[in-house]
Amino acid sequence: MSSQAGQDAKFFQRGKIQEFRAELQAAEVKDKKFIKRRTVLKKIVANITMGNDMSPLFPDVVQCLGTPLLEIKKMVYLFLVSYGKSKPDQIHIVIPRFLEDCNDRNPLIRALAIRTMSYIPIPVVTEALTEQLRHCLKDRDPYVRKTAAICVAKVYTADPRKAEKAGFVEMLRDLLLDPNATVVSNAVAALTEIGDRPDGVFFKLNLTIANKLLAAIGESSEWGQIYILDSLLRFVPEKHSEADVLAERVLIQLQHANSAVVLTAIKILLYLMNYMENRRLIEHICKKMGPPLVTLLSSGPEVQYVALRNILLIIQRRPTVLRNDVKVFFCKYNDPIYVKLAKLEIMYRLAREENAKEVLAELQEYASEVDVDFVRKAVRSMGRLAIKVEPAADLCIKALLDLIETKVSYVVQEAIIVIKDIFRRYPGKYEGIIPTLCEHLDALDEPEAKAAMIWIVGQYADRMDNADELLDDLVYTFLEEPVEVQLALLTASVKLFIYKSKSEKAKELVHRVLKWTTEEIDNPDLRDRGFMYWRLLAINPGVAGEIVLAEKPAITTDSDRMDRGALDQLLLHTGTLGSIYHKNPEASSREFPYPAARALADTPALNPNSRAVLVPITRTQLPPAVINIPGPGPNEPGNQKPEPPLPAKPAPPLPTEDEDAAEGGGGEDDESERVLSPVAVQGDAVADPYSGLDQLGTLSAGGYSADNPRPKEDDDLLF
Amino acid sequence: MAIDGLIILDGAGRPIVQTSFQSTSPAYPLIHIDAYNNALTKVSRPEDVDPVLYVAGISNDKPSACCHVGCGDLRLLCPVSGDVDPLFALAFIRTFIDILQEYLGHVSASTLRDNFDVVYQLLEETLDSGGHPLTTSPNALRDIVIPPSLLNKLLSVAGANISSLSAASSNPFASPIPWRKANLRHNSNEIYFDVVEELRAIVGRNGVSLSSDVSGKINTNCKLSGTPDLLLTFTNSKLLTDCSFHPCVRLPRWSKDKCLSFVPPDGHFILQEYRYSPSSTSHPSALGVNQVPIPIMLKPSVMVNETGGTIDVTVTSRLTTRAIEDFSLELYLGQGAGAPNFMVSAGGSWAFDPRSLILRWEMATVPASSSHTFRGSWISSVPHPRSAHAFRTKFAIQGHTFSALKIDQLRLSGETYKPYKGVRGRSLVDVEWRW
Repeated sequence: MSSQAGQDAKFFQRGKIQEFRAELQAAEVKDKKFIKRRTVLKKIVANITMGNDMSPLFPDVVQCLGTPLLEIKKMVYLFLVSYGKSKPDQIHIVIPRFLEDCNDRNPLIRALAIRTMSYIPIPVVTEALTEQLRHCLKDRDPYVRKTAAICVAKVYTADPRKAEKAGFVEMLRDLLLDPNATVVSNAVAALTEIGDRPDGVFFKLNLTIANKLLAAIGESSEWGQIYILDSLLRFVPEKHSEADVLAERVLIQLQHANSAVVLTAIKILLYLMNYMENRRLIEHICKKMGPPLVTLLSSGPEVQYVALRNILLIIQRRPTVLRNDVKVFFCKYNDPIYVKLAKLEIMYRLAREENAKEVLAELQEYASEVDVDFVRKAVRSMGRLAIKVEPAADLCIKALLDLIETKVSYVVQEAIIVIKDIFRRYPGKYEGIIPTLCEHLDALDEPEAKAAMIWIVGQYADRMDNADELLDDLVYTFLEEPVEVQLALLTASVKLFIYKSKSEKAKELVHRVLKWTTEEIDNPDLRDRGFMYWRLLAINPGVAGEIVLAEKPAITTDSDRMDRGALDQLLLHTGTLGSIYHKNPEASSREFPYPAARALADTPALNPNSRAVLVPITRTQLPPAVINIPGPGPNEPGNQKPEPPLPAKPAPPLPTEDEDAAEGGGGEDDESERVLSPVAVQGDAVADPYSGLDQLGTLSAGGYSADNPRPKEDDDLLF
Repeated sequence: MAIDGLIILDGAGRPIVQTSFQSTSPAYPLIHIDAYNNALTKVSRPEDVDPVLYVAGISNDKPSACCHVGCGDLRLLCPVSGDVDPLFALAFIRTFIDILQEYLGHVSASTLRDNFDVVYQLLEETLDSGGHPLTTSPNALRDIVIPPSLLNKLLSVAGANISSLSAASSNPFASPIPWRKANLRHNSNEIYFDVVEELRAIVGRNGVSLSSDVSGKINTNCKLSGTPDLLLTFTNSKLLTDCSFHPCVRLPRWSKDKCLSFVPPDGHFILQEYRYSPSSTSHPSALGVNQVPIPIMLKPSVMVNETGGTIDVTVTSRLTTRAIEDFSLELYLGQGAGAPNFMVSAGGSWAFDPRSLILRWEMATVPASSSHTFRGSWISSVPHPRSAHAFRTKFAIQGHTFSALKIDQLRLSGETYKPYKGVRGRSLVDVEWRW
């Protein structure tokens, strides 16, 4: 074998069209066993794979299609797949060959012929295929039937209305009852593809068909199982019991070895849970979902990554899942960085009073690692932990101070940024550490850290004897600083002046800064603020004090949570790109084309909680004709009545601010969510200092600036 | 729910084989290849490249994502756009790698080039141009794409090409069971089960394990004739939690009485994967409450100072009867590390890779209850070297499983012969020790 292997590699040498043509012609005679033809074709195929244009050989290669040898036929078909569509003027010479092969005795050749034809979107070919497909869909061989099912989707793409007229959709529907599971799943795949088209017929399932499909699942390949499971999203439960029954049957698929099957099954379960009422059953399902998710974490890193991103969504919607399993997400030193970052975020989400200590100990561990990016995020997570879990705040502060002692520049800066927020979250509790922070003033060289420190100095200038000296030093480089720092300096010096209006030094300082801001700065934002402060101070310093030092709303981590309705919608896309990048279908439809952005359909069975946050979906292009496909077999009466084609409701009943009210009313499955974030909502003036970062209409409501994961460029996805 | 195609890159990031990308512009596969190669230049370790890369569209095109998996010196890319589960693409790549391994034995850029026609046929059969996976079960594939070795054998023996047409079964998919060929014949009917369990754990500074879990799988090699219907029972199946199975296993039967009832595929396959946790019966929701003891003790003492560091590690086997095999210990020493000087106790060896900066200590066997040491120092050219705060140890134990899973019996129905059965156990351990 090895000797021949060596020869094969030589086929990759750039060949000349003329040469090949001559060789093909020579092969027409004295080539009883077709060895010559085989060799030339192999060379040609090798050239196609290298991207060399072999299309001039079209007529010569097509001649070989008559060779009664499967291997040669396959290579010619490969050639046709590559160049068929670019030769509309010559394609007619192949058609008779195609038709011949469509009726070959060998089912492999029959299937190969229709498959190849479906790859060539030229009207004459499609027409010929349409004719043949009708027979092939009823072929006695399952291999041909399953190939034909997929071909229907292609014919449909070429001309939807014609394919409908030819009755292909109904024929596919009949295949849903085929005795062969692979045929069934391919029919589902084809119907799904058709149903996802904006101009396609509607693909909906009734309970009978859904049950039949689930019965076929046992014998399907993993891909077939995925198609079948995914199609269950097209079944809309009208009664709670329907959702219950289906969920019980899907539950068993969580034991599949293929990670994609498991994640698809979880997606369906999450979907069906919206239509359930039985709390016990919902809890049971949540409990069952945890372990398979953890099992995914023992797969390769790429699977882990996708699983982690999805777990992050799932635990926000169903906090009981994996509630006690934070340890599973501890990072290993050798984990790839993207896995570490995703785990870190989940650890933070799962942190609560009971495990805060363990989580903090891990975060401290990570803060000593090598990867700068990861270390920063670990430090930031400590701060978020302090803000989220009040009883852990003392320990977090201590840990952060320890880190500051290490004097590693980026650790110190990151720590100061989060400590500023902790001050705001727990006013009057930790200000005693300010002197320690001030010792590290000189180490700060990043704008965000510097601005945070300046904010601290300004805000607590009344408690620091040397605040004026510190600010005076900081202001020294005012004109060279980035805007972020300049803004902080401006506000801080105004605060200092208000606190210590008697001090000559403070007066001189604020004057100097205001003068710079209004006379030398080009940035309109900064300049306007300078004017505003100046006038405020000039007209009425007392009022200025009230404004500048107004009581700030406490920081909470509430905005870390995604909006529930959007979360529900994202979870319908569990496992898809949207869920990886945490973008809701509508916001990302410009980015990732969602053929049919999914939304929960409102039926009597819809859980009141899910209904309260329902995000309606507007389908921009309505299909010209809504054809409801009833299932094969006896028509169910329930299915015959005109179903609400789309949950196109005018407006969401409750906008997101009312989330709390809605939850308070019937918040049956959200109590646990409460427990998870003990930070109570304080009054209605809950403002989040970070929420301003979230103005782009994307999903993640606030959190740290990069907590709004977006498709990444160089940045990381998390935080 | 369809992927856009598959591209296989060689070690230098150049495409070797790719699908035809019918419905996309010719530039589409190219931007994905570029996206991957660009991402590669931005990370320090190739394995740190994000597995689902965001790829911006060309001009007005919609952006897409590039899922990729490495395999030896190769990298398989799967561009996806639209509402697709990236796991779907990743699972497909994994499956395709398995198929390549089955067909080519060793998968590398050169074997791929040597057998490009087979690889092409495989791509054609496994992935439809619309991106739907077709036939991926090795049993069924062998009917329609002849493995290179068999093809060559036929050519050399018969010298005739006609025979290859008949070699590809004229009646593929005749079997009602998608994963098993019909009418198989083996001279000796045998089936082997390899139970492999892997313990993964993190041990904290205080020597207490912070998290640990044992995942196991049953690798099966089946050479049985006809259509055997097997029933496998364990004596202690209660120990197994979170099981996942090969599609051939009848799941309802398992839920009922924890018996594995199945018609096996032919050849190698993974029958079952599970997790073992001793606590599973009492606290099903909390993982790892009672942890599996780690079979070794490791006493690390590491000092890192301004100019380098010293290491002194003692490893003691806690096993009293069995030997530990293929023991290795690794530590990343940090930027600027060099001039390592270490001593190992008898039977061991050490090495330092100046490129990856990883120090490695290996021992082929660690006898039962024995103790070994590894000590020495290194010098760093960078002041205050930042070395890893964790050792990574890996080893194997033959004839041992943590769960002590025992097969009770294997009953066969549907066929008359009596198969030869074999069961073997093996444990792998991968522990991170922090210091």
